[in-house]
Amino acid sequence: MTESLMKRIASGDEAAVAEVMEQYGSLVWAIARRLTRNPSDAEDAVQEIFTDIWRSAHRFDPTAGSEKVFVTMIARRRLIDRMRRLANRVQTESTDVLDELGFHTPDTAGEISVEAERAARVVATLRPEQRQVIELGLLQGLSHSDIASVTGMPLGTVKTFMRRGLIAVREKLGITPGALLHAGA
Amino acid sequence: MSASFQDEDNLADLLVQRETGGLGAAESRELDALLEAAPGSELDALASAAAALTLAVRLPLEPLPADLQARLLAQGRAAVRELSVGKVVSLTARPARSPTPGISPGWFAAAACLVLAVAAWWPRVTARDVVATATPVLPTLSQQRDTLLAGATGTVRATWSGTDDPASAGIAGDVVWDPAKQTGYMRFVGLPANDASAEQYQLWIFDGTRDDRYPVDGGVFGIPPGETEVIVPIRARLPVRQAVLFAVTVERPGGVVVSSRERIVALAKVATG
Repeated sequence: MTESLMKRIASGDEAAVAEVMEQYGSLVWAIARRLTRNPSDAEDAVQEIFTDIWRSAHRFDPTAGSEKVFVTMIARRRLIDRMRRLANRVQTESTDVLDELGFHTPDTAGEISVEAERAARVVATLRPEQRQVIELGLLQGLSHSDIASVTGMPLGTVKTFMRRGLIAVREKLGITPGALLHAGA
Repeated sequence: MSASFQDEDNLADLLVQRETGGLGAAESRELDALLEAAPGSELDALASAAAALTLAVRLPLEPLPADLQARLLAQGRAAVRELSVGKVVSLTARPARSPTPGISPGWFAAAACLVLAVAAWWPRVTARDVVATATPVLPTLSQQRDTLLAGATGTVRATWSGTDDPASAGIAGDVVWDPAKQTGYMRFVGLPANDASAEQYQLWIFDGTRDDRYPVDGGVFGIPPGETEVIVPIRARLPVRQAVLFAVTVERPGGVVVSSRERIVALAKVATG
């Protein structure tokens, strides 16, 4: 079993930097492009994300999930913070764009990571409008009310869809649920 | 509904919104207050779920811009170097510049035949340090390509040929692909610069072990104006077990999941045997 890249980064192995870039550069770039306004914003965001990755590498726990999820979590968190800070939430012009993305099937997601495969299995059980809500929130950075406006769904429905989707994936991933969200949705 | 159930609902909504559209300042304060009485692990749990869902989306992957990648590498190495001596640093790095344009004609119909014709198995290589040595000077893409060519015994090299597409006239260059490391570089001479807001180039890798109707997406890229030679790193979206043909198409910005193959501008067939 090879040593995790995050562990190598945390131990000061400079050689691991290029490998992290190789492994996750395109992924981080793709997520950043979805959640920023333009390539210039995306470049700034990606630099923030990788700075966080280098500094947070020591927190990676392989028993809690894959490195890919760890990197994606950092990327998402930085981008969400950035959106708030810059108040430049990306506007969706049309839901057609989202339809072109869509989710992987569990089979193809399995080639990405175990977590992606499990998430795809949950997604496969959702109705199209539920998938759309999750995608709008996750990859367009739209607030619940924005999603309600774009889709024409009632706000309460949007909240419920989003909540059920995330909680179902959390449970599928086997993450120990806290007491509170159990009662939700 | 009791007050505690109301709090639970609020917390659930705020946590979910934290992981999707983000929270405003007032919502953040409310979340902080509610989290004091709630299991903090929920935050990470939902963040993991959101990350997994993100990975499950068909994201159009494309390589980092070359300049940005060079900058990130320099910053990363400096940051990690400082970590190893117990300091945190921020560093402004010099981006390395890469390649240029090229073109030529050919056609995808050849792909099916090539897939059948090639049955070679590329030996696995265990070398790991191709671009990873901590040199004080950033290796350019050209140097990384040279290193790949020099270091891996199973490296595949194929020459670009043109097609009947107008953008393909005069294309030259080659592809270098290391099947063990699943990495490689395209070198183009004569591929025209593209307007990234209108169209981009996309690489497709035909894998002899896969259905040739579904080549592996090798990444979307652009050709900057005014360059004579351009080197582009390959970002295969899926593992490529047996590369038999590389093809470049012109697609809409961001690339496509399945190409219509209307505009093929370069082909590089991997020699068999």
